[in-house]
Amino acid sequence: MPKFLSGDHPFPWLAPMFAMIIAFGIYPLIYSIWLSTQGKVPGLRDYKFIGAENWIKAFSDDRFIDSLVVTIEYTLICLVIQVVLGMAIAMLLDCERRGYGLLRALMTLPLVVPPAVTGMMFLLMEDGQFGVLSYYLKEMGLVDPDNPILASTSMALWGVMAADIWQWTPFMVLILMAGLRALPKEPFEAAAIDGANWWQTLRHLTLPMLSRVIATAVLIRTIDLYRIYDYIFAMTSGGPGTATETLSFYAGRVFGVANFPYAATLSLLTLIMLNVICFAFIKIFRVKF
Amino acid sequence: MPGHASKVILRDILAWFVVLVFIFPLFWWVLASFKPYTAIFAQPPVYADFQPTVENYEVTIGGKSRINLEGGVGGQTGGASSYYSLTSIYDSLIVAIGSTFCALLLATLAAFALSRFPIPGKDHMVFFVLAQRMMPPIAVAIPLFFIFRDMGLRDSHLGLILAHTLINLPLAVLLLKSFFDDVPVELDESAMLDGATRFQVFRMVVLPLVKGGLAATAVLCFIFSWTEFLISLLLTTSIRTIPVKITTFVTSTGTEWGLITALGSAALVPSFIFIMLVQKHLVRGLTLGSLKD
Repeated sequence: MPKFLSGDHPFPWLAPMFAMIIAFGIYPLIYSIWLSTQGKVPGLRDYKFIGAENWIKAFSDDRFIDSLVVTIEYTLICLVIQVVLGMAIAMLLDCERRGYGLLRALMTLPLVVPPAVTGMMFLLMEDGQFGVLSYYLKEMGLVDPDNPILASTSMALWGVMAADIWQWTPFMVLILMAGLRALPKEPFEAAAIDGANWWQTLRHLTLPMLSRVIATAVLIRTIDLYRIYDYIFAMTSGGPGTATETLSFYAGRVFGVANFPYAATLSLLTLIMLNVICFAFIKIFRVKF
Repeated sequence: MPGHASKVILRDILAWFVVLVFIFPLFWWVLASFKPYTAIFAQPPVYADFQPTVENYEVTIGGKSRINLEGGVGGQTGGASSYYSLTSIYDSLIVAIGSTFCALLLATLAAFALSRFPIPGKDHMVFFVLAQRMMPPIAVAIPLFFIFRDMGLRDSHLGLILAHTLINLPLAVLLLKSFFDDVPVELDESAMLDGATRFQVFRMVVLPLVKGGLAATAVLCFIFSWTEFLISLLLTTSIRTIPVKITTFVTSTGTEWGLITALGSAALVPSFIFIMLVQKHLVRGLTLGSLKD
């Protein structure tokens, strides 16, 4: 038995984890902050200190503002659809009869598909010439045959969101269903006796009692939606134009053209905004971990 | 009640319809991987009217060369060899197993301490760990790119293992803490009255009781690493995990859809097997232990 773990002090237990987080989480963060204050020196591999110039530049950078708008749009629309659809499907599948166990298991499958693969899957299905989804949408007259989904400025973001909604609605279903199962039965019996209809029960009983579960699920989803990258990379590369360019994707693109200090600034801005949103959310809705 | 019975049947039909709609893309994807090249693009779409083939798998995983590559060239080496993906599968396995092991090792110790010791400011500590989960991958990947370059860890398995360990740590710690919290403290106390040290309690009392929880945590860490994309993309060039590799099959001259669907389908196998094994812990894992299932 390791001697250092025999005492009654928590330090040796926690130290390895904190060492890891400091070395590969906090130190890189500090490095990133340093990098964001640097400017390029032509012809040299070195940088020079330029203070907050990159940060100021971001706020007059239309492309940054655009990507912020796309990110917020993407996050909010996906959240609403996933919560509503997730709740409806959770209530539908929350049933003890035969076959429903299998249905619930099938419903969780999309969750473990690598998002890059999901992106490719929807890229193939939404292809204007030979995509299976495009074909049926065209047949139903929902999509203009001459204007493929992912090549259209107005439709491309929806095309990407379809992948996200497909992959993550099951997450909502799973969590909300677990929440539904944990609810006490008595209030529902009482409501049924009082003659409450389906909508009244949902509105005044189910939703309030599920609020903590919903808040947790929304928080976790917000974190992932706000930093979306994989689907964009696989499906549109931010295009057409910049119609689907999110914050993470823009930062990645700036990194790709070797403007490292500005890329660091953009990624830090994404991090800061996400943290502010999350902390506010945790405080307001009293989410507990 | 006939009205009731028809309502039940209606619900069954609706439930099956909704689930089948959700499963359809997966079904279509796996089906496409067994299609000859032209059948993938048939309009209207074909479901049974094609000659099934495993050629796509033979080329991506078996390394068989294909003379009539109908797509373009991808990857850095060009030609058919760049679609050979067995090394990608190895890369993904090494990184996922390595990072799962590291994350579990660090997280069990920390989670046990957070669950059992009276630590001042414990809630803040848990919150600090949780905050790591809110890091956008791009904010992690950019500085790590330079730090790893200076340390010689860029484009190495070890570097990617460390990066994935970091992103898996919050999940592992919070999840294991919730499993440890389920074990009554009285068990620890009686063992310690009998003269056991903390470490003995940890190893001989608590760990055996959370075996299922450990397995579930390991599976989820594995899947997160197996599916991770952006960090793997930026930190490597010659090592190509499957999600990154698969995007290199799309090139300016064409897209090898047959091979993409084959590799993509193969990549689903371990995740599906694992997730079936830990179904009952899935909710807790996805919510970082904050909701007990």
